[in-house]
This record gives sequence, C-alpha cells and structure tokens, in this order.
Amino acid sequence: MDNLVISNIRQRPLRSAISVLGVALGVTLVMLFTGLSRGMSDDLQKRSSNVRAEIIFTRPGSMTGATSANLSTKYVDLLKKIEGVESAVPVIRHFYPSGVWGVDQVEGVDWDSFAQMSNIRLIQGRGPKAIDEIVIDETKASRNHPVGSLVKLFGEKDFKVVGIYAPESGARAKLTLEAMQNFLEAPGKCSYILVKCKNCKSQAEQIAVARRINEQLPGNKVQLTGEFFPSIENSIPGLAIFMRILVGLAAVVSALVVMLAMHTTITERTREIGILKAMGASRVYIISEIEREALAISFMGLLVGFALAALAGFGIHKATGLIFEFGGWWALTAAIIGLAGGALGAFYPAARAANLDPVTALAYE
Amino acid sequence: MGIILKAENLEKVYKVGKVDVPALRGVDLTVQEGEFLAVMGPSGCGKSTMLHLLGGLLTPTKGRIIVDGEDLTAASDAKRTDIRRRKIGFVFQRFNLFPTLTAEGNLRLAERIHGNGSDDPDRRREILRMLKLEDKMHHKPLELSGGEQQRVALARAVVNRPAIVLADEPTGNLDTENSALVLKMFRDLNDRLNQTIIMITHNPEAAAACQRIIQMRDGHIV
Repeated sequence: MDNLVISNIRQRPLRSAISVLGVALGVTLVMLFTGLSRGMSDDLQKRSSNVRAEIIFTRPGSMTGATSANLSTKYVDLLKKIEGVESAVPVIRHFYPSGVWGVDQVEGVDWDSFAQMSNIRLIQGRGPKAIDEIVIDETKASRNHPVGSLVKLFGEKDFKVVGIYAPESGARAKLTLEAMQNFLEAPGKCSYILVKCKNCKSQAEQIAVARRINEQLPGNKVQLTGEFFPSIENSIPGLAIFMRILVGLAAVVSALVVMLAMHTTITERTREIGILKAMGASRVYIISEIEREALAISFMGLLVGFALAALAGFGIHKATGLIFEFGGWWALTAAIIGLAGGALGAFYPAARAANLDPVTALAYE
Repeated sequence: MGIILKAENLEKVYKVGKVDVPALRGVDLTVQEGEFLAVMGPSGCGKSTMLHLLGGLLTPTKGRIIVDGEDLTAASDAKRTDIRRRKIGFVFQRFNLFPTLTAEGNLRLAERIHGNGSDDPDRRREILRMLKLEDKMHHKPLELSGGEQQRVALARAVVNRPAIVLADEPTGNLDTENSALVLKMFRDLNDRLNQTIIMITHNPEAAAACQRIIQMRDGHIV
C-alpha cells in the first residue's frame, strides 16, 4: 500500500462509507426527483398523443390541470356542421386527490364515439354503460384490477371495471359522460370537445379548419391537440424552478457532507500534514492530495447514488405505479453535482491544512 | 569538502501573548559537507528551535541561513518549502511515519514529493540494504519495532539524496539496543554516502558517535 489517498480511505471505513453515502444521497435525490418528473411528464405526453383528434374546442379560461365542465355539449352538433369536421366528441376530464402521487384523473366520455375517434379497442369486456361502470387501460389493470373488480374513484365511491382497453389514451379510467355530468352536477356540460378533421394531412389544413371553427363559433378557444396537452413542466410554471432548487440543495448536501468528513479527517491528521510539510510538500501538493481523496469518495458516492436511484425508482414504481425515466442529461448533472460538490466541500479544509504551521502541526497530539 | 550549511547571528523570539520569549540569541554555526554533528544541551536551550530554523520549518527573527548555497532566510514560504524538499531530510524522535502506508509506501511518498526523476530504485535498494530493511518493506509502521520504524524514517530522509539530514533526538524513543543500531546506521550513512548529519541528542554515547559536538545553553552555542 503506497497510495496515501486509498490508504486513508481504507483506514477509516465507517467515515468513508458515511461520506460516500452523503454524496450518494445527493445524487439519488437528483436522479429520483428529475426521473419522476420526466417519467410522469412523458407518460402523460404519450397518453395525450394517443388522442387522435387534431383540434380541441373548449371555453376560454379552462385549465388543463384542474377539473372544469363549463362547455355546453350543444356545441358538438354545431361543430359537426362546420366544413372539414369529421366528428366531435365531448369529454369531461376530472382531477381528484388520490394515493401517493397526490392527484389522479378520470374522464367521462361517450365510449363508442370516443373509441372510434381515438382508434382504441377493448381487449377485454365491454364499454361502460351504467353510471357506476368504468373501463381502464392495461397499465391500471396490471395493478390488480381485472374485469369485474371494483375500483374506488372520487374518494370512496366504488366503480366496477367492465372493460380494459388499449392503447392507453388520456386518463387511465373512463366512465360515461352522463355519469360524470351527474357526479359533477353539470348536466349538458363537458370540459372540452375533441374534433377530428376530414382528410387533414398537414398542419396547415388543421389550422384552416380551426380558423373556420373560430369564425363560426366565436368566443371559444380552439387549439391544436399538440398545444393543448403540454408537459408537466410547462403546465406547472414553478416546477422547473422547484427542480432546480432541489438539485441545488442536493449539491449543497453533498458538499457539506464531504466538507465535514474532510474537516474531521484533516483535524485527525494534523500531524501527518506537518510531516508532509517537513518533507517539503508544497501547498498545491497537500491540497491536491486532499482533493484527490474527496474526489475518490465522491466518485464512489456517484456509483452508489446511481445504483440507489435505480433501485428506489424500481421499488417505488412497483409499489405505487409512479413512473421514473432517468435521462442521460440529468445523470450527467448529478455526476457533476456529486464531483463538484465533493471537490468544493473539500477545498476549504484542504486550504486550511495547506496553511498549517508545520512546527505546530508536528507537535499536534 | 566545502561548507554545506552556514548560520549567522541567528535569533528567534517567540511571542507568547504580549511577552517576548527569546529562544535563540545569536547563533553562529558552520557545518562542513559530510560532517556528522551532535547538538547537546538542556531542555529549553533552543536546540529544536535551531533545528527547525535550519530546516526552514521556522523563520528566524534575525540572522541568515545558507543551505548548500541557497539563502533560506531570504526565501519566500514557497521557496523555503522547495529548498526543504530538495536539500533537507528530517528524522524525528517520534518516527513520524505515515501509519496507513507500508515502509515502502513511506519511501515512495518521499520520492513523489521530491518530484519527477527522483524515483531511483538502485538508490532505494542501496539505502534499504544499508539499513537492513529489505524484508520489512511491505510492513506498516505498527507492524515494526521502534528501531525498525526509525530506520524506515532514516531511509525516507535520505532516499532523495538531501544535502543535510536533521535529526531531532532520533534515539529518544528507543531502548539501548535499538539506539545503538540506529546510531550505527547514521554512522554508516555518514561514512559510506558522505551524508551530512546534524543530530540533536541528550545521550552522551550517541553524541560520542559524532565527529563534532556543540553544546547549547540559553539560546547560545557555548
């Protein structure tokens, strides 16, 4: 053993392990937070993209992240009369508090017309008819919800699963439009109307139909579907800032843990630093030795952090259904945070060690 | 043989609170290349302070130190460290080996600190053979006896061919047998490698092994 860095790390295995875990904690937090945000956002985007309608017709002020049923279903017939419109399907999207994720959503639709427009098919059972019947997608069904089972929605109300559909599209559970109108006490209302165009092959043609709708039914909001279903990051304005703050905090945690560990290390090794100075080690040499040790610890923390994030993501997904998607960019960010946090955290104790008086350090007990 | 070290009118005053405590009061010393010099004197007479000054670990309040042609007192802290790295080897009473490194690791560390081109396996082998440490190189300090540890410390001090070895009571923590052994090693290094050595000691027998003895008292050489 002739490497001071490795031998020092091995000399105090418990302290080294705590330091490694400190860095790993920061890396794990970054990976989990960003992975969850991206996973859920991408999942919603994917489900939204399976809605085959090109245009969404709604009322001004309707929010995408909250329940609203302020649009009259009378518009369905009016829309169908407009040139270029093939079909129009009203939908109520309802958000309600639920489970670990905190919020879930369910849609009220006229199943047959919705399924036809969105090109989704039942792979088991049938469409919902009664007000206490729902159909669910395969992901929700895989969480122990077979056809015939009961699913609680809106708190404690039981709904019977009568069918399972694919591919996933919009909310994972759908009941009849009438049932949802009853539940929300909004007869004749919906959140938005999905509009399928006739032979709209280009976006220019879709825009032309949207313009006609806007001209003939003024005072409403006409949007292309792609604009209507934004990502989670875009629909919650503070989320990106929140994520950055979390990432920053994770970096601070990593840096503080390494700083504390290296500070303790250096206090314990004061006499050894005196010996290094007596041997002619320069300030740069002493700082670089301590930084190398901190970087070695941080690197191990990175590996442990990535492993912990993968394990935790897998476990949480299995237990709750939350989706994690770990991106290379955020992994790189976490790596930079772990290494830079460690290096910065060690710099103050390293500089302090390099400036120790050699005679005082040699006399240290 | 030329002069390897020259100290002129060396003074050192410590500040203890508002009180000035003089440790050295005008020391003049000249050491020839290849000389083995003992420094003796009662505790508190300034021996260790003088050794630390000669090794560039402390700066004098007044006076001048020339080591192998380089003025230690005119040098900046970084330059003093550089001179120490190239020209001085220290041996301490408490051995001061790195406990997490093997004996060989301690020597290699000294070579790394010394810089590129200093890794000289022939030199290392010669030193290890002289100090009878060939079979101890993979042991950590706590696996070695006190005498063996001090021999490793001595090997570490000379492995980079310093101009001067400064030893601060190197036998102070050793029993009689190990003291004799370590002193013999010092003598061998001095005889065979013409190594200049300045050694602080309280032990008259150790001092007797040296070519010259200087006595200190109250911050003066007497």
